[in-house]
Amino acid sequence: MESNQFNVILTLLVFFPLIGALLILFLKQMGHESDELVKRVATAVSAIALGIAVIVLFMFDKNIPGLQLVDKGDWIPLWGISYYLGVDGLSILMLLLTGFISLLAIISSWKTITEQVPQYYAFMLLLQAGMTGVFLAQDLFLFYVFWEFTLIPMYFLIGIWGGQQRVYASIKFFLYTMAGSLLMLLGILYIGTTADTFSLTALIAGREAFADVQNWLFLGFAIAFAIKVPVFPFHSWLPDAHTQAPTAGSIVLAGVLLKMGTYGFLRFNIPLFPQAAIKYAPMIAVLAIIGIIYGAIVSFAQTDMKKLVAYSSISHLGFVMLGIFSLNEAGIEGAILQGVNHGLSTGALFFAVGLIYERRHTREMKEFGGIWRAMPLYSVLTLIVVLSSMGLPGLNGFVGEFTILLGSMGSPVLGPVFTAFATTGVILAAVYLLWMFQRVFMGPLDNPKNMILEKISKRELFIMLAFLIFIFWIGIAPSGYFGLMDSTVASLVQSIGLP
Amino acid sequence: MNAFGLAPLLLIFPVIGVLFNGLVGRKFVEADREIGEKWTGWFGTIMAFSAFAVAVSLFFSLQANGHHAEVVHLFDWINIPSAGFHVPWAMRIDTLSVTMMLVVTGVGSLIHIYAIGYMHGDKDFSRFFAYLNLFLFFMLILVSGSSYLMLFVGWEGVGLCSFLLIGFWFSFVDKNGVWKNANAARKAFVVNRIGDFGIVLAVILTFWAFGSLEFDVVFETALEMFKSKEPLLLFGQEVAFGSVVTAITALFLLGATGKSAQIPLYVWLPDAMAGPTPVSALIHAATMVTSGIYLIVRSNTLFEMARLSVGSELLFGVISTPDLVALVGASTALLAGLIAFTQFDIKGVLAYSTVSQLGFMIAAVGMGAYVAGMFHLMMHAFFKALLFMSAGSVIHGMEHGHHHLHDHDDDDFDPQDMRTMGGLRNRMNITSVVYIIGALALAGIVPLAGFWSKDEILAHASANDGGIFTAVYVMLVIAAISTAFYMGRQLKMVFFGEPRHAAAAHAEESSNLMTYPLIALAALAIVGGLANLPHFAAEHGAEAGGFSYLALEHWLEHSLHAFELTEEHVLHMPHTPIQIQWSVAIISTILAVGSISLAFFVIYKDTSKANSAPDPLQKTPIWWTSVLPLNTLYMDYFIPAFNRMAKWVAISLDWVFWHDFVHNRLVRDMFVTFAAFTSSVLDQKGVDGIVNGVASTTRRLSGFLRQTESGYVRSYALSIFMGAVLLVIYFMFATAG
Repeated sequence: MESNQFNVILTLLVFFPLIGALLILFLKQMGHESDELVKRVATAVSAIALGIAVIVLFMFDKNIPGLQLVDKGDWIPLWGISYYLGVDGLSILMLLLTGFISLLAIISSWKTITEQVPQYYAFMLLLQAGMTGVFLAQDLFLFYVFWEFTLIPMYFLIGIWGGQQRVYASIKFFLYTMAGSLLMLLGILYIGTTADTFSLTALIAGREAFADVQNWLFLGFAIAFAIKVPVFPFHSWLPDAHTQAPTAGSIVLAGVLLKMGTYGFLRFNIPLFPQAAIKYAPMIAVLAIIGIIYGAIVSFAQTDMKKLVAYSSISHLGFVMLGIFSLNEAGIEGAILQGVNHGLSTGALFFAVGLIYERRHTREMKEFGGIWRAMPLYSVLTLIVVLSSMGLPGLNGFVGEFTILLGSMGSPVLGPVFTAFATTGVILAAVYLLWMFQRVFMGPLDNPKNMILEKISKRELFIMLAFLIFIFWIGIAPSGYFGLMDSTVASLVQSIGLP
Repeated sequence: MNAFGLAPLLLIFPVIGVLFNGLVGRKFVEADREIGEKWTGWFGTIMAFSAFAVAVSLFFSLQANGHHAEVVHLFDWINIPSAGFHVPWAMRIDTLSVTMMLVVTGVGSLIHIYAIGYMHGDKDFSRFFAYLNLFLFFMLILVSGSSYLMLFVGWEGVGLCSFLLIGFWFSFVDKNGVWKNANAARKAFVVNRIGDFGIVLAVILTFWAFGSLEFDVVFETALEMFKSKEPLLLFGQEVAFGSVVTAITALFLLGATGKSAQIPLYVWLPDAMAGPTPVSALIHAATMVTSGIYLIVRSNTLFEMARLSVGSELLFGVISTPDLVALVGASTALLAGLIAFTQFDIKGVLAYSTVSQLGFMIAAVGMGAYVAGMFHLMMHAFFKALLFMSAGSVIHGMEHGHHHLHDHDDDDFDPQDMRTMGGLRNRMNITSVVYIIGALALAGIVPLAGFWSKDEILAHASANDGGIFTAVYVMLVIAAISTAFYMGRQLKMVFFGEPRHAAAAHAEESSNLMTYPLIALAALAIVGGLANLPHFAAEHGAEAGGFSYLALEHWLEHSLHAFELTEEHVLHMPHTPIQIQWSVAIISTILAVGSISLAFFVIYKDTSKANSAPDPLQKTPIWWTSVLPLNTLYMDYFIPAFNRMAKWVAISLDWVFWHDFVHNRLVRDMFVTFAAFTSSVLDQKGVDGIVNGVASTTRRLSGFLRQTESGYVRSYALSIFMGAVLLVIYFMFATAG
């Protein structure tokens, strides 16, 4: 039995936003009706949570491959369930991403959310808490609790503050992801009862115990995660959720929630079932590549900007999946970084689309044209984001994509043919993203409604710049980011046992 | 004393220019047009000149240290220790990169000055200079990067600048309502990305084959593998070295056909003329489009190793990559040279001419004539930048002339259409003189720059035996004839005869800001050939009578290891003549002069009637434009097909079938049916079942709760968490109602 450890910082990181959510609701109960106050409290809470994540970063020792800052204690000892939080190279960037995206999403909602304000921010904070928990939980049962918990706030965020078909979209989102998770739950229960523990570290150490059924277990987990990512062909919920979600919901959904899927593959599927991972890697890589190409083609044919960006996520996440199932250092590190990159670039793209939607209340591309003349600063910033999403070298997207492609070619389970097909995504990304950029920002400014567009505000500028700082930083000097995950990924790859 | 430490300034100066013009330039211009333009324009120009000064100092530093390559390390870029992948930001200063730097910043600076005059009055004046500086920045990264990955940064970066500058006047809509400029910009980027697909794969393959992306390491490792003659262990199997190097170089070729506008990807360059003329001169003639040539010259050892591939290592088992490079270049030179006949747009002729001349360079490097290719690259930079900017001056003059007319009723007036010009040599003296110099240099008239460089390529082709060389020689000679012909035609149509439109009769000479850089470039186009004069007599000596022959060759040799390795008999480069080939020189001169004369004779014999009479070439069916109608193929067949396919996938497959039918109908209906079934079964069981169920549930729940009383703080914390969730949900509904 592993010994219990006590280190409160990670627990604080998870529960601080939750306390904030409760505080907001109590404020309302006590008659403090001011929405302004609620916004400030929510922003402050989210900012402090990000601050705690940064403290975790400073406490984090990148040379240790295993778990750090562990907080562990029994929860339901009879069943081997423990309260077990820890951070390592796979999750440290995800924690920071969660804090960062959540904060920006909250700030982006200041002006757009005018109804049921306290509930809205309470859900945003709950979501932040749940996602943080997902990235920290090292006990399968605890992980499952957090995993399912994130569905609830997202369900309400889409269902209450969403667009015309919000109820339909939110139910579909909920049922689709829930259905996938059930198979994972079965898997978790099977493993936990077989091994008498739900602790991930203990399970990995004793993974031989369920090696004979690992193919089934792998698939059970994989389907849950694949729906979340989403891997083609499990993507049908994504366009609905994105088009109906409020802007901030889309930012968090694309920015963090989808990464829970890719993270799940790294955290559970590969270390628990390495033989199955090797066996299924080419198959998943094929799905990933289909996703890259399919997502790009479908994206290109969209007329609604937000839907275009939504489908582009399928393409981008295809790269991440390809990197993960390269099962080598370059591929996996590229995939983790590309997860962060996608959060930044696509988050920023959703924000940019939301920004113009607020002004025109439409996202149909044919309504626009020549926006560069009306909003020059906004257009230049959006261009940089578009280029980052396209993988222009010098910006973040390229570093991730290139490393993934590098990994996939040298992968012991994949090879140059996979890389060659995946690289066509580089061409297609230019096709659909430049098409959108041209249609909206270039051309003549001939629609009178577009001539009187309000310039970008200071708050909006702040959000865009916050995204851009990291877009440039990761593009120009990503070594520090790779350094954070290198030792953990190296030991993970070693544990797979490939030549 | 050397100045290698100054190298980073080469990149810093343009960045300062970008920041200044991008952030505050607009305010200056808006505050005061005259002063603002002066400040922003000259600021950008001075940054370009400063970069040029740095390049010059690097040139002297290399001379001082015996042409020894220097790598200036800046900082880490991508570093993944466990994967053994490490690429720093570092600049490689050697004779090849400095040559490119000098061309880029030298010609670039002159074009900056010209642009101050040309862009005068444009509402986005400062944005233009920000883009120009950004272009310099990326172009300098491209040529100075010490690794393939850094080269690729510049490669894509200049592609971005090309996109921005082609689409500079993005609001423009043509008569048919088409967003011509915006479309051209997008087309350029997308077509280039097809080439970049090749570069990305080549770079990754290079890493796995040779373990690094640094030029030094790659070439050295490759050489050792080449010498050992052992197969490589790559991706778990043994692969012949020749196959690997063939694959890498072939993928590089794909990249080069994109950036340097060769068959089959040349189609973007003619459209790119939608950008302002200084852009056409700088990016789409003098510098960016030569990147492909630079890439091949930089990889000279790899290409020379690929030349020695045999049997199954060859491309498709039939041709070595360098041979393919030479054929691609020669056929592009020929095809584009013929298409240039048919153009009426003054810049259109120059655009196809550029494609054609790039073909000459590509053919040269494919034949192993790396120095001749670089020589032509430099000379072409001089005279083609000159021609484009003079054409810009002509366009300005025509616009002025048009403004002076009292009746503006012909809205269709196109200031770039050569059919409306004629007789401009009387109205625009300086422009016409420099234009004629540029045209003669391009046509290869002795002793102007183009003669020497083109002759060196032709001499190289003729001096080697073998099917490829003969074929390339024949194609290039025909291309050279057509070059002289279309330039003769253009001179005649633009500058000679009588004006065919009132605008041409009232055209005015451009300002000094525009003409002075033209004079400087014209001077270079006259004397540029001195950079690499061949020997005229049999005795060889680097210097004779105080003059250094083949100076460029001796200078570049230090960066072209293939030469050294050929001397060591490791590689076998094709024979490079160092003495002038009189037969080639005389034949090509006669053909060029004859061709220009023919053009003068054929085009508009009776210039007074030319205004109404259609161009003689317009009437004849022009078979050569249909030789390889790639643009038509892409635009009329491939792209519509792709659009239809994308629509079908997105609407029919993804939405109607997968989203609506499978998910929203099939899956949902099955679920609803299943739910109805289970509830009816439950109903039949009746109340008993429910009561039993409740009882057993309670039993189980109490057991669960007992276990949770474990006495540990964190388990309580978790219970609180669950409680909190329930509370929140409660509040949700309580307050929402």
